[in-house]
Amino acid sequence: MEGALRVESARSPAGSPGAPSRVTLQAVAHRYLARQGEVAALGRTDLQVNTGEFVTLVGPSGCGKSTLLNLIAGFLVPTEGEVLVDGEVVTGPSPDRGVVFQQANLYPWMSVRDNVALGPRLRGVGKAERRTAADELLALVGLEEFGNARPYELSGGMQQRCQIARVLANDPDVLLLDEPFGALDAITREHLQMQLHRIWLRSRKTAVFITHSVEEAVFLGTRVIVMGARPGRIVFDERPPFRPEARTPELRATPAFVAWRERVSAVLRGT
Amino acid sequence: MVRVLPLIVLLSAWWLVVRLKVWPEVFVPDPRDVWTSLLDSERTHDGQIGLSGYYLHEHLWASLRRILVGVSLAIVFGTALGLALATIRPLRLVVEPYVNFIRSLPPLAYFSLLIIWFGIEDQSKIWLLFLAAFPPVALSVLSGVRGIRQERIDAIRSLGANRLQVVRHVVLPATLPELFTGVRLAIGFAWTTIVAAETIDGIPGIGGLAWSTKKFQQTDVAVLCIIVIGLSAIALDQLVKWLERTVVPWRGKA
Ligand SMILES: Nc1ncnc2c1ncn2[C@@H]1O[C@H](COP(=O)(O)OP(=O)(O)OP(=O)(O)O)[C@@H](O)[C@H]1O
Ligand SMILES: [Mg+2]
Repeated sequence: MEGALRVESARSPAGSPGAPSRVTLQAVAHRYLARQGEVAALGRTDLQVNTGEFVTLVGPSGCGKSTLLNLIAGFLVPTEGEVLVDGEVVTGPSPDRGVVFQQANLYPWMSVRDNVALGPRLRGVGKAERRTAADELLALVGLEEFGNARPYELSGGMQQRCQIARVLANDPDVLLLDEPFGALDAITREHLQMQLHRIWLRSRKTAVFITHSVEEAVFLGTRVIVMGARPGRIVFDERPPFRPEARTPELRATPAFVAWRERVSAVLRGT
Repeated sequence: MVRVLPLIVLLSAWWLVVRLKVWPEVFVPDPRDVWTSLLDSERTHDGQIGLSGYYLHEHLWASLRRILVGVSLAIVFGTALGLALATIRPLRLVVEPYVNFIRSLPPLAYFSLLIIWFGIEDQSKIWLLFLAAFPPVALSVLSGVRGIRQERIDAIRSLGANRLQVVRHVVLPATLPELFTGVRLAIGFAWTTIVAAETIDGIPGIGGLAWSTKKFQQTDVAVLCIIVIGLSAIALDQLVKWLERTVVPWRGKA
């Protein structure tokens, strides 16, 4: 983590030496065809996300964060450039890239357990096996008692935990999360941040996490990216100097954390 | 109490109108005559079986069977067509106008054709009911599929689903509530069409029976038929509503 305390905002920090790039954006730009003409949602962007990095992405509303994430997910095809994951060009969605949506998107015609077991089911995993796997994941996110419930019987926070469990059931290489805690109250939010952080500590999965909360971005991110608007572009890209193991609720009150948070907020205000 | 109030008001008014002889009895039958024809309809009286040679439940069942067959065919083909229209754009451009065209026709308009093609027996009646019932099913399924949020599809695709799995696990279940709406509309249209369908060779049949009363001015039987058709239609709709609550418990919740 040397160099992480650099004060200058560097456009593109060097990754930990030797770490292979898992997600690569090569001169990617994206425009939408809207009724009033073309909307330049994402300007030409280069980005390398290394294996095991937890990248958090903040930026003003409408600056192209979701667009960036949907390009990596394969829901969108970039109008320019290429998205590569493990060296292969992304042409569509894949179970190797799990997506957690802001709106929970669980299927109300399935039980909570069947929602979590859906990925394995699509792969043809047997009933008993996928049920066991689903129950383990439900326990991991603290929903072991709700396997038989329907998603609409869960609270918003529980639905998001269920969604995370569903994505983890596929054991994806990359986690893509678009404001997963955006609609939750502050206490639930901090609780889920810790839970997600612990899950990430154990798996060290590569993650791209969009949020509106600078605090959340600095707390969770091993790398924080700030985007500016019109067209969407990266204006800040650095690694907070906090060891992953040191990210406990107490960290939020430390001067170092507060100073970092304020720095990112200042950048965000300047966009 | 509030639910039977309209019934009480109607019966009293009816009785009063008959009592005061506002209109001759061939226009407005005595409630007691309607009651008698109900009793007659289920027994052999003066050497006659029921009404027009069949018991009332036989008339009703004959019509119900036609409706159920016609609507079932409409559900199968309407759902398939709705799915096809929603997923194959060129097909939608070519076919959807015709579905709308058939829907806007009063079924009697094409009944002659059906009789010429399929004869006067059950086949032409079932075709008529099918044609009346399938457009609402197809169009409801079409709008159901098109109303599915893209994120719902994206979510399962990123879980690894192929096209067929997307249809099976998301498109079909997500369309179920709309399908039920379509089916209830379809049954409604089938009921409104049944009398037309049974105007020709419609005995046994509750619509045929209703139609036959004009010949001998059997107003009491006509009113009986109206009541039976109305109550049966409401009962069938309640049954479908109950089925919907069991099959689609998430309706309105997600
Ligand atoms: N499907 C679309 N069609 C046309 N324009 C779109 C579409 N989706 C997004 N845009 C436009 O692209 C720009 C970026 O949108 P995007 O959703 O990526 O922003 P965002 O940073 O995720 O915003 P938020 O923080 O509010 O979620 C916006 O100006 C938006 O109006
Ligand atoms: Mg967004």
